[in-house]
Amino acid sequence: MALDAAQPAVAHRAQPLGRGSLYGLLLVGMPVFLVGWLIIFPIFSAIATTVFVRQPDGTAEFSLASYHFFFSDAYSLNNLWLTLWTTFVCGLLLLAIGLPIALYLRFSGSRLAGYVQGLAIFPMFVPSIILSYALIRTIGPNGTVDILLNAMGLPKLPSPYLTPWGPVIGLVWDNLPLTVLMLTAGLTSVSNSSIEAARDVGATPLRVFISIILPRMGNSLLVTASFAVLGIFSAFTLPYVLGPASPEMMGPFMQRTFADMNDPLNALTQAVISFGFCLLFGIFYVWSIARNREGR
Amino acid sequence: MMARSTGLKFDWTGLLLALLLTLFIALPLLVVATWAFTEIWRYPSVIPQQFGLRFWSQTLARKDVWDALFLSLRLTATVTLLSAIICLPAAYAFARMRFPGRNILFLSFLASHAFPKFGLLVAIAGIFLQLGLISTFWGVVLIQLVGTLMLMIWIPVAAFQNVDRRMEEAARDAGATPLRVFWSITLPQAAPTISAALLLTFVGTFYETEGAWLIGAPEIRTMPVLMISFINNQIVVQYGAVLSVMLWVPSFAALMFARRVIGTGAFARGFGA
Repeated sequence: MALDAAQPAVAHRAQPLGRGSLYGLLLVGMPVFLVGWLIIFPIFSAIATTVFVRQPDGTAEFSLASYHFFFSDAYSLNNLWLTLWTTFVCGLLLLAIGLPIALYLRFSGSRLAGYVQGLAIFPMFVPSIILSYALIRTIGPNGTVDILLNAMGLPKLPSPYLTPWGPVIGLVWDNLPLTVLMLTAGLTSVSNSSIEAARDVGATPLRVFISIILPRMGNSLLVTASFAVLGIFSAFTLPYVLGPASPEMMGPFMQRTFADMNDPLNALTQAVISFGFCLLFGIFYVWSIARNREGR
Repeated sequence: MMARSTGLKFDWTGLLLALLLTLFIALPLLVVATWAFTEIWRYPSVIPQQFGLRFWSQTLARKDVWDALFLSLRLTATVTLLSAIICLPAAYAFARMRFPGRNILFLSFLASHAFPKFGLLVAIAGIFLQLGLISTFWGVVLIQLVGTLMLMIWIPVAAFQNVDRRMEEAARDAGATPLRVFWSITLPQAAPTISAALLLTFVGTFYETEGAWLIGAPEIRTMPVLMISFINNQIVVQYGAVLSVMLWVPSFAALMFARRVIGTGAFARGFGA
């Protein structure tokens, strides 16, 4: 980038006294402190609180009892299983829906592309709480879909509302814009000339996709999937409003344990377990962004 | 481009995608909008039996709606202002200064996205419980502030980086002070992107539900939290619908103003694409 070429000049001017470094650190100090205090510290604190459990006499004692409880409690395990299932299904659906849209947006010069892009990005501007409400009225019992089916003389829809499919529909709706944006951004690294060259030697669209496009956007597919997994695994609003009361996803489960049952220890244990399950995706997400930035 | 090489063939893919997306994205929203202006709509009638604005006046007459609206506006304004004061100087530093640990510190803002969000909120709530911040205004401000950090740093960093350096150099050569250069050259060029980031922060905070619900309940009832109770208790269908349409106004404004930033890919890059 041009600005990277310009940067050393500025740095050079600021550096002799080392004042630039000091000012820079001072300016970034506050937000970095907030990240440390409100993101990094709570995570370590949650791990410490659940492993070194405070005893009635005020001392802390090493104990894995809350983890043992979670992994031996059928209800907790069902919730974890439902969460894993929902995350997996949503991740697959998002890629299956987002990829064709992103490919279309990247390679189409049609006037319809603007409309498709507008619609695909639109959910970003619809808060999940409004969406939840809209979906209840649309796919819920006697909702608009039922009304339309009835008008066509068809039987009612077995409503996905209050079943595990309710949150799946909501989460796919909600996460579609970022999936499409991230995949489209990933597709910009595929050059038109390489595709035209392949087509000139007679490659079919499928062949072009598998041999030219897919290898170049593998990383961006994984970043998109990681981002979706991290967002969906502990989603709260949509599963809380649209999903079944039992089993429930980890988000509503943690909220109920923390606030309704007033049991911070077990809620924190559930949070740490969620971190554990998402650890790989989180590490991959940060690692690949760091690598992308270096490459730029 | 592919479309060009396929000649003047009709864009069937585009039409199919447009139809499916219209159905999937627009239908639920149309349904809510219709409910907001409906007085009677009984199954299985395809259109409402009676349209009207009765529920608008009923919703607007509710004290809890006004309390929630003012609280939400106060919270959102506080968070956006604090976020700008804390993040914009930092974004400038990340974009233009060299200091030890710059890259690592910049990447550390990804931390908020590298963990499952609600799990992180529960971990923070564990700390706030000990600090007595649960169910307080400032507790919710802090939790929402954390959510804005990445957006308010990553997007403005790109804005500051894209400022034309030659103009700054020229101004400096003409004898302008650094502050003058920043005020007259740098800021005006970065301003459109920064204002989009501010707007996205404002709208995102206004609709933030999970932190407000977990940290704020039961004392702090923001608009989205009120909406959850409307949905759960299902008093009158229209209350939720009217509230949805009302809440949408700022969202539409954001769509109009922030379209440019989102379209350029800066937004997707902000999330690491």
